[in-house]
Amino acid sequence: MLEMIIIAAIKVVVVIVAVLTGCAYSTLLERRVVAFMQNRVGPNTAGPWGLLTPLADGLKLIFKEDIVPAGVERMTYALAPVIAFIPSMLAFAVVPFTSDFSLFGREISGTLSDLNIGVIYIFAVTSLAVYGICLAGWSSGSKYSLLGGIRSSAQMISYELSYGLTIVGVILIANTLSMRELVAQQDTVTHWFIWRQPLGFLLYLTCAIAETNRAPFDLPEAESELVGGYHTEYSSMRFSMFFIGEYAAMLAVSCVGTTIFLGGWQGPFLPPIVWFVLKVFGCMFFYIWLRATFPRFRYDQLMNFGWKFLFPLALLNTMVTAFFVLWKG
Amino acid sequence: MTTAAPIIDLNLMIPEIFLFLWACLVFTYDLVTKRKSGNAVAWLALAGPVLTGILTVVMFSAGFYGYGKAAGAMFEVDPMAVFFKIIFLGAAFFAIGSSFGLLKNRIVNHRGEFFGLILLSTVGMLFLAASREMISLYVGLELTTIPLFVLAAFFKDDRLSVEAGIKYLIIGALSSALLLYGMSFLYGLGGTTDIWQWKLEVARIAGKGEGVGVILTLSVITILAGLGFKLALPPFHQWAPDVYQGAPTPVAAFLSVGSKAAGLVAFAKLMIGGMVAFWDPVMIPNDWGILTAILAASAMIVGNVVAVRQSNIKRMMAYSSIAQAGYIMVGMVALNDFCLSSVAFYMFAYMFANMGAFAVIALIEDATGSCEISTYAGLSRTSPALAVTMTVFLLSLTGIPPLAGFMAKYYVFAAAIQSAGASPTFGFLYWLVGVGLVTSVVALYYYANIIKQMYFHDRPSTSPITFDAPMVMVLAVALCGVVVFGLFPEPVLQFARQIPPPYELFQH
Amino acid sequence: MTGDMIIFAVSAVVAVFGAVMMIAQKNPVASVMFLILSLLAQAVCYVQLGALFLGAVLVVVYAGAIMVLFLFVIMLLNLRGREDLGLSSHPMNTITKFLLVVLLGVELVLIVKSVFMSGAVGGMMAKPTDDFGSVAQVAKLLFTKYMYPFQLTGVLLLVALVGAVVMARKDRSEIAHGAPSEEAVNEPTAGKVGR
Repeated sequence: MLEMIIIAAIKVVVVIVAVLTGCAYSTLLERRVVAFMQNRVGPNTAGPWGLLTPLADGLKLIFKEDIVPAGVERMTYALAPVIAFIPSMLAFAVVPFTSDFSLFGREISGTLSDLNIGVIYIFAVTSLAVYGICLAGWSSGSKYSLLGGIRSSAQMISYELSYGLTIVGVILIANTLSMRELVAQQDTVTHWFIWRQPLGFLLYLTCAIAETNRAPFDLPEAESELVGGYHTEYSSMRFSMFFIGEYAAMLAVSCVGTTIFLGGWQGPFLPPIVWFVLKVFGCMFFYIWLRATFPRFRYDQLMNFGWKFLFPLALLNTMVTAFFVLWKG
Repeated sequence: MTTAAPIIDLNLMIPEIFLFLWACLVFTYDLVTKRKSGNAVAWLALAGPVLTGILTVVMFSAGFYGYGKAAGAMFEVDPMAVFFKIIFLGAAFFAIGSSFGLLKNRIVNHRGEFFGLILLSTVGMLFLAASREMISLYVGLELTTIPLFVLAAFFKDDRLSVEAGIKYLIIGALSSALLLYGMSFLYGLGGTTDIWQWKLEVARIAGKGEGVGVILTLSVITILAGLGFKLALPPFHQWAPDVYQGAPTPVAAFLSVGSKAAGLVAFAKLMIGGMVAFWDPVMIPNDWGILTAILAASAMIVGNVVAVRQSNIKRMMAYSSIAQAGYIMVGMVALNDFCLSSVAFYMFAYMFANMGAFAVIALIEDATGSCEISTYAGLSRTSPALAVTMTVFLLSLTGIPPLAGFMAKYYVFAAAIQSAGASPTFGFLYWLVGVGLVTSVVALYYYANIIKQMYFHDRPSTSPITFDAPMVMVLAVALCGVVVFGLFPEPVLQFARQIPPPYELFQH
Repeated sequence: MTGDMIIFAVSAVVAVFGAVMMIAQKNPVASVMFLILSLLAQAVCYVQLGALFLGAVLVVVYAGAIMVLFLFVIMLLNLRGREDLGLSSHPMNTITKFLLVVLLGVELVLIVKSVFMSGAVGGMMAKPTDDFGSVAQVAKLLFTKYMYPFQLTGVLLLVALVGAVVMARKDRSEIAHGAPSEEAVNEPTAGKVGR
């Protein structure tokens, strides 16, 4: 019993550290990649290839003054960054990072916890992320923040449905909700669910980007209209919590996408964990690529796109898949 | 994983399915005519309950359709279901028929939705009447009330109507929550949602001497509170006057009859069908009956007394319908062989009189834009036929012989008296009947007040009222119902007596 | 008391606490947050009882979707306190409220008492099967035994959909005349939006 608890605790710590590091280096990755795409150099002074930049950024944010504007709802204002941050971290609990391995003679599973409803669990916790943004916008007592908060809740509600529907197709085919089982079913490249659910994968990508409020769906923080959106009034550590939360959410949806559609840690030659990291890295690169390429949606376009295009398409995908599953018996 | 679904015998559900499809047809018709259908959509909707009624009767007599169970014994057509289905369809017919006046200027948009929602609410009532299981009962009840929230708030630019909708929504949600809370305890006790199975199971547990009393009593109280809201029995009645006043008049009429009958059916199924075996003092002391009797008495007293002070006729009718619910509950607690049949007949008679009275109110509101009782002054001078009709409806509501309302009241009180005479446990029913008789006199006062306004005021406050064809039809049917079933109640009563006595409800 | 029991008891208490605080708050946003807390605690209770799927669905549907909508509306109307809601209390309402609260409170206490003091109560302590609460089990029940109410729920959803469209859609005449109903709806909060 005690041994189990210790192993679990160590795994939790490892995952948290890994995720936080991942978040930090995602920011660097983003800045460098976007810079190259825009024919610039990007941050390259701190450390070799700018590798120490995230550290410098972090230190700078920690030592900045924490400004709490007058007229904020203090409790909510203080809670919001935490609420924004926690759900995306929770999602990692059911992600299978690697195959089961043995260390010091003990069998250790590659996931923190293998829930038999893993997929639904992920949707449950990620659906809570909107509260952080919403409450931040509301409690700041500033019109930019409020508008950012309202936009984001409207956006997340609108895309949540399609987001959930996109993976129903995979679940119907795989007949399981366990992440581990999903990975096990994608043992060779040809068995990856992306081949059987190409539309589902594209829809998942789109909805995931919208759910994480990233370009071209980053209306909640459209600088030209809303200054900083929901986090306009935040500074210092509180601000960086939102920042980490956002990148953790990006990482989380990349991990989930990898697990569901791209075979998770499965892959030839290289060790599983390497495959997993590579695939997640690919997803993150795609994210950044999109940001460098596309202009931002207008608000009405965003709503029309979500409700009148994505949602029917996701429904169609679900129905067609259900039809084939039934047909084949 | 192949588990066969229980075969849902759709034959028994033909009337429900037909009405549902008809409601969809009404929506679609309004849509394809580009929402410029005028009165046609209303006529189409009016045909819905009529055709469903005919379908039910024809199929019944042709033998396609009889008493029986379907959907794994969750759905059952029994005499009570059929009788109440006729009441629900009748209420829908009257409500739609008296809505034509609204189409001229008040409901210009969403006509198809207005009528379609009335029909869908009726579908819910039909399903409710046939359910013999808690979950389908609950879903049926929700299907009944959710369209009514929207219908009550249908005049979107009228603040009173919006207020009515919101109030009804909140009260509806609260009462559903209470009902569900109580039912969840029932499920916890018996481990099944089938009402008859549940009764057997709990009787078995209680027979072993394990304590079910406390939880049973508490769930009874919670369910009573939930249904009390639905039936507007004091102290759960405050929403009724506001909602009736704000809602479109035909909707208020539909609320007062259809929704009330739906609440009664739910009451009969849950309390009488599920609990009557426990009338036995060993299981649950008289709480159940006494509590219901208190609710009934307070309904009769509060409803009748407060109605006297109203100057708005829709508010007055709201309090009057609270009082009428009290009279019905008197029959409900009698718990003898006549209890359910007397309740069913009361509801039947009440439907004609109340829907008729509301039709007149709707007519006058369409013509004058007012619901004040003073508007009725001198109506006999300008529109004598209308005044006579209204007088008949009001007298029937009071319970004056030889109208249907009198027969209904007579049977309800007779059932209670008979029950009180048969067993000392039911002695409190004497008091209840006494309260009923005294408050009937109070009722006479405020109903007669309107008659006085109509006949004994020299200066009429209205110009002659014009009728349209559907309104003539509605008033004629209601008038015939009130008079004919007052003089010859026997055929209907005979049918009502087929409803099994409380102890045998669901038992087969 | 086992660990399970303690977790259950704690989350049950938190659920009730959240519900009470939700009513007691003056600030609607705080109410929403306490309701979410209560819902999350309820989800923990479900999980503790073995109904993993129900717990997750509770979070997805209520905490993740419906409450967001609530919060959205509160933010849109910018309600900050009780006066914004225009609440007033009629004495009769207070009495009814009081009675209901007493009723439910007594109920709660008695049930807790009867469960914990007198041991098992009939079917209440029925042992769940192994796959109790699993997706397959829930789905099987929905599509076999409870097929009929499940289908009825479809009609219910249709009604809710139609009703929502009727209530929310701007009418033709309103568009033509510059939205007269807008004024009636917005009046209580006019001047407060946008501070």
